[in-house]
Amino acid sequence: MNTIDRSPSPADPVIVAAGLSKTYPRGREQVRALDGIDFAVGRGEFVAVVGPSGSGKTTLLNLLGCMDTPTGGTLRLAGREISGLSETDRTLLRRRHLGFVFQHFGLVPTLTVAENVALPRLFARRAEDGRVGELLRQVGLWDRRDHRPHQLSGGEMQRAAIARALVNDPSLLLADEPTGNLDSATGESDIGLFRQLNAGGLTIVAVTHNAALSDAAGRRLHLRDGRLA
Amino acid sequence: MRPSWILFALRDGWRRPLRSAVAAAGVALAAAAFASLLAFQRGYRNGMDAELGRLGAHVLVVPKGCPYDAASIALHGANWPCHLRPEHLLGVRGVPAVAVAAPAFMNAFPTADGGQDVVVGVTPDLLGLRPGWRIDGHFPRADDELLVGAEMAARRRWSPGQVVGMTALPGRALRVAGVLAPTGGADDSFVYLTLESAQRAFSHPGGITHILVRLRDPDLLDDAVSQLRGCEAGMDMNIVPMTHLFRTIQELVNSTRLWLGCVAVVALLVAGAGVANAVLMAVAERTREIGVLRAIGASRADVFRLFWMEALQLCVVGAASGILLAAGASRFVESWLRSRLPFAPTDALVRVEWSVAVATLAGAVVLGSLAALMPAWRASRLQPIEAIRNPEDFA
Repeated sequence: MNTIDRSPSPADPVIVAAGLSKTYPRGREQVRALDGIDFAVGRGEFVAVVGPSGSGKTTLLNLLGCMDTPTGGTLRLAGREISGLSETDRTLLRRRHLGFVFQHFGLVPTLTVAENVALPRLFARRAEDGRVGELLRQVGLWDRRDHRPHQLSGGEMQRAAIARALVNDPSLLLADEPTGNLDSATGESDIGLFRQLNAGGLTIVAVTHNAALSDAAGRRLHLRDGRLA
Repeated sequence: MRPSWILFALRDGWRRPLRSAVAAAGVALAAAAFASLLAFQRGYRNGMDAELGRLGAHVLVVPKGCPYDAASIALHGANWPCHLRPEHLLGVRGVPAVAVAAPAFMNAFPTADGGQDVVVGVTPDLLGLRPGWRIDGHFPRADDELLVGAEMAARRRWSPGQVVGMTALPGRALRVAGVLAPTGGADDSFVYLTLESAQRAFSHPGGITHILVRLRDPDLLDDAVSQLRGCEAGMDMNIVPMTHLFRTIQELVNSTRLWLGCVAVVALLVAGAGVANAVLMAVAERTREIGVLRAIGASRADVFRLFWMEALQLCVVGAASGILLAAGASRFVESWLRSRLPFAPTDALVRVEWSVAVATLAGAVVLGSLAALMPAWRASRLQPIEAIRNPEDFA
């Protein structure tokens, strides 16, 4: 077990991983994408997960996002052990506690920016109470609210995706290469937005190759060959 | 700002407009066939019932020959190839089960506009069979008096008291004794004379083309028919119970209905397959989007619902178009059916009414639900992890 960058045991952890492993079958072989890692992320932390391609960053993010299940170890999210959770409970956990930002934005092309941002509210059966407008203003897209995603720039699409991730007031924001499809100037702008959100108390875990983004984070988890380096 | 499920499904469902339009067109054709079949089913039955009601007779007595031809001639008007004699009428009237026996002498003449004038000689007995008749004027009492159907009177601009001439009755000055209020049936285009006047005019003194019989107790129809067939003149006459005749005609029409039904079922199956295929393709194309939706909080049931609603709205749009198509094409379908049916009532055969529209829409909802089951279930089983694995297809 490799636990080089262990966190200083935060008092109020949002994430606690112990001996976390993920093994995939590939033909007759078993590929260990994550090899027994331990770490914790405290409430309000901004953590960057860095490492070379194939090091297990995305696998880790999938596990943190309850989109995949670990094959070994334990993982607690917002106080709940996820290994034994049913599909429904994992959906509810994602809906109530997690926000996702994808490298590819993942906006629905047939909906407007405002409708995209409000979409998680539809799934959560929550009424629109002005939160969408508030977030659109916060990310600077209020004037673009009725536009379709294809009418936006890459940076605007990513900001719309960030607003969508925040609309149900999650306790943890997970971002997968959020600046990966942006030019450096736009990327800087979005990094500023992440800083601002974190300063407001939001816990963020971002997988990134972007040095500026990892510099902006308060802490780095460096993965190499499925282990924390 | 929050999209509704309907809006979401509607926008996503028409993301590929051509594909959706083709699937909806398939549903429209199937719905049109289904609606036409239902409309025909209802229209034909109602038309036959109305025809039977207007006739007012339980039994038709005609010369020997095909009973269907005889019924068609008696109901819609044409020339009769042979006749009954007064002794036949006496024989019928002598049967105890008979309440009213109304003799008629019918003749038809082609008109210059390609139609025909139908002249019927009758006795006041006919009024006992047609209690619903409303006459402006009176029933013909003298040789030169006419009772004119509403449509004929309107076409010729005849009114009670007017003296008129008819090509069917050359050289005779006739007075319109009465004009019949519209009945909705063939009576509207008939001209009625007294029986004797018609027999004389067409050189068939004593001739009777058919006898309309009303029974004292319609529930004893079989018994009454046996009595009529057993009377002295029974061997020379065809005794046609109208309910049996109409039932037999309906059974003959069932082959047409069955054929239409097969067409509708095949069309529905093809349309269902088209919708299922369109939704399956959408699921395949949007696999990664489904993953994103799951990641941002959609449950499996939400994903199922989304694709189910997409299929449903395709079917509803298709069905609505199909109903309009069926309504628009009803005249063509009607004339096509009339040319193929052994007997068709005067009333509209294909009636696309609200109940038909509602039944067609309900059928489309069932079709859409069934067609969507497999693709929607497949979509709901996709894992959210797919979203992060395949980023290429997103905005």
